[in-house]
Amino acid sequence: MDIKTLIQTTTPKERVNEAYNKAHSVQEKLNAMVSFIDPTEQVNLLDSKSNDLPFYGVPVVLKDLVNMKDTRTTGSSGILDNYISPYDATITRKLRDAGAIIIGKSSCDTFGMGGTNMTAWTGPVANPYDLTRMSGGSSGGSAVLVASGVVPMAIGTDTGDSIRKPASFNQIVGFKPSYGRISRYGVIPYASSLDHVGVFTRNVKDAALSLEVLAGRDDHDMTSSSLPVENYGDMCVGDLKGKRIGIIQNVIDSIHNLETLNQFKDLCQKLESKGAIISSIHLNEDLMHAFLPTYYIIANAEATANHSNLDSLRYGVLKEGQTMDESMILSRTAGFGKLLKKRFVIGSYALFTENQEEVFRKAQKVRRLIVDDVKRVLENVDVIMAPASGQGAPKFDDASIDQLSKEYLIAENYMALANFSGYPSITVPMGMVDGLPVGVNLTAYAHQDAKLLDIAFGIEKTTGISNVIKEVTQ
Amino acid sequence: MNYETVIGIEIHCELKTKTKMFSSAPVSVNSQPNTCVNEIDLGHPGTLPSLNKEAVRLSVMACHALNCEIDPLIKFDRKNYYYSDLPKGFQITQQFHPIGRNGYIDIPTDSGLKHIRINRLHMEEDTAKQYHSGDETWIDFNRAGTPLVEIVSEADIRSAHEAMIYVEKLRNILVYLGVTDGKMEEGSLRCDINISLREVGTEEFGVKTEIKNLNSISNIEKAIQAEVIRQTDLLENNQPVEQATRRYDDVQKTTILMRKKEGSVDYKYFPEPNITPVLMDPNWLKSIIDNLPELPDHREKRYMEAGLNAYDAGQLIQNKALSDFFDELIKETSYVKLAANWCLSDILANFSTKQLLEKAYSLKVKEMGNMINALGKQEISSKQAKDIFVELLKGNDYHQTVKVLNIEQVSDQSVLVKMVEDILNENEQSIIDYHNGKDRALGFLMGQIMKKSKGQANPVITNQLLLEGLMKRKP
Repeated sequence: MDIKTLIQTTTPKERVNEAYNKAHSVQEKLNAMVSFIDPTEQVNLLDSKSNDLPFYGVPVVLKDLVNMKDTRTTGSSGILDNYISPYDATITRKLRDAGAIIIGKSSCDTFGMGGTNMTAWTGPVANPYDLTRMSGGSSGGSAVLVASGVVPMAIGTDTGDSIRKPASFNQIVGFKPSYGRISRYGVIPYASSLDHVGVFTRNVKDAALSLEVLAGRDDHDMTSSSLPVENYGDMCVGDLKGKRIGIIQNVIDSIHNLETLNQFKDLCQKLESKGAIISSIHLNEDLMHAFLPTYYIIANAEATANHSNLDSLRYGVLKEGQTMDESMILSRTAGFGKLLKKRFVIGSYALFTENQEEVFRKAQKVRRLIVDDVKRVLENVDVIMAPASGQGAPKFDDASIDQLSKEYLIAENYMALANFSGYPSITVPMGMVDGLPVGVNLTAYAHQDAKLLDIAFGIEKTTGISNVIKEVTQ
Repeated sequence: MNYETVIGIEIHCELKTKTKMFSSAPVSVNSQPNTCVNEIDLGHPGTLPSLNKEAVRLSVMACHALNCEIDPLIKFDRKNYYYSDLPKGFQITQQFHPIGRNGYIDIPTDSGLKHIRINRLHMEEDTAKQYHSGDETWIDFNRAGTPLVEIVSEADIRSAHEAMIYVEKLRNILVYLGVTDGKMEEGSLRCDINISLREVGTEEFGVKTEIKNLNSISNIEKAIQAEVIRQTDLLENNQPVEQATRRYDDVQKTTILMRKKEGSVDYKYFPEPNITPVLMDPNWLKSIIDNLPELPDHREKRYMEAGLNAYDAGQLIQNKALSDFFDELIKETSYVKLAANWCLSDILANFSTKQLLEKAYSLKVKEMGNMINALGKQEISSKQAKDIFVELLKGNDYHQTVKVLNIEQVSDQSVLVKMVEDILNENEQSIIDYHNGKDRALGFLMGQIMKKSKGQANPVITNQLLLEGLMKRKP
């Protein structure tokens, strides 16, 4: 059921209560929620609002990085375990203004720093399609709450592929619009120049509808765009005739799973039969091998500075020492997990004066080359496309991943190209591979969000996969 | 051995904006601690900076007045370090692209004007203020995020006196621009002095120390003098000068070690990703520069062209509030020298700078102008002027006061002629004395007329009539 139908066929109380109860009932199996927010007060406030609002009484979930005044926002970290937001993020305000009811904060990798959701302070989040498998991350909680039918829309953030990868693993739509399209004010950062706010929905039109509500210039975020907000929903027509789709051949060549490749090939043929013009494009292979290291250096350098505010002196969990310096050290030591510390060390290393030119500045130069290369291939096509993952979600205890393999470096990490460039990018369901969902990812040129959504809608119509709910309660 | 003193000065200057550098919280003016703060100033998770346009405007003004090249592309960087007065764990500053570069000011010295080069002027945010009491530390975040410019001179300064003149002149320029209130004692203008000695005739710099927390212009001079003595003693005794940060102790009249600089902190500067570079509109830049307020040098020149001597002009411009008052006053009178004298004595004696700035007085400038005009035309004596001024301070009008004090001038020719004739008739001997060359007789006769008129005879006309009467009675 899409959001419009949901509004037409239920009362706000009905849909909010159902979501709230369901969120509780799936919690034991999925472990997706960090904090529940009693929706009663918000629902009561609806009486004074117009029922024409696009999210009138629609239950939604915020990733636990998004501030909402007087609610707990932990960033799925230990150090902010007791943090109560003193202010609203811009998107929180926009959602409420649109009539949405926020029922909770969802689990993520701490501060969005991870791709598994295994680093969340409250523990891993399970995949509703197989509870022994991971949700994907970092926005894992939001992804599984949409996939399991708790809420029709959840907010995520995406710094490398943190919306688009879990969407692939959960048979839902994961959309990261252009950089600057949605304000980041009030959203706990990972890496400011790569961070995007985006959404999970069960169909493309709901993603478009969400963007209409969330997008727009915000004077609190200097990187937000002044371009007018478009009627993304109405612009989703889904006619693929003449649409030029470039297949990223490097990604196809590095995927081993034949079922994934077959399904993708099958999809391409169907798209062609609908009038799409399919071609192969080749990104610079050397640059693709550099995606992950470039990403790690830039993201962690920014992250180490971004999280220097967490010293527990003004807020957060304080471990008191003899001096203020000692208190800061004890609090940070206790409040951050091992992976976070590792990333902070890498980030600091990249920024040291003696390393900065060779590491951080070089990574920035490589980023520029990568963006130029992506721009080049987008000159001749409307979107570039490839499977969003080589196969379905890994098992929690999967130690087989070779982080230096071509499959890992390219097929599993190429989507960061849309973070380097800030280009809009969306994952939509493709089908089931070995019983697990796998999505397909599309990226368009900067600020062509409407065109991207239109083509994604065409693909959704082609696959026929939308509004899928994987129940986990029974 | 003969040593040359080499000094470079860094000045941190708080900008007079309504709100903070990167947040909409008000800039604190003696407010209750921790009341002028919002989530941005406290570095709460998820907050982002938004640049204060007014701070940029004031910085552009300062750059222009200090003859800096202005970079039209505004960029910021992060300076990373952990300290309890730094909420975000980094300070947003302009390390790589300062808004101003390669400026200078000329300072007066005994051997003429001296060019002091300014290396850079950059914008940044202030830290919170810490108060230590016993083993407790209290933090007031009101100051956190206050807009600052840092102005860094080249090591062109060669004496304590030059340093003092440099800071004084620079502060005066910034105060005239309205960029800052420049109060050193309240910390809105703070100086760090880098100082080293080298043998006269050598090029290589000696080891420098930095003196921080100087809270007055006069302490700059005293601190440098003390540090020169200290460093000279060390060098004379073949002891090394240690690179360190020191402070000046006004009681002991010497500098005290604060901390040694052993392997300086790596601030890991990198470009601030949350502030997209802002290209200033050339028309906006031009309008700022075209509308720059009058600078002290220009004002001094204008005063001297109007007839003031260099000393008076210099004294007036030292105090912008007084100088502004003087400018108002000379709109009402062309007796510029008299006006300056009154400003530098009676106005200064009766009003504080704060009063002048806030125009917190009852005195009407127009009425004071009337008084000075009368004094200039010798319609009243200086003594009478002092009495009148006391009334003017209460807000009274000049003409009314003159009436009330009964010191209205008699300028009527026929009345005065009669008075002169009467006095001459009563003082035959004085007429003879006058014509015998005894000048005192004239004064005596004037005095008699004044006495008779109760001081109200117009002295200029009376003097003229008296001379005429005496000529007529030449024996």
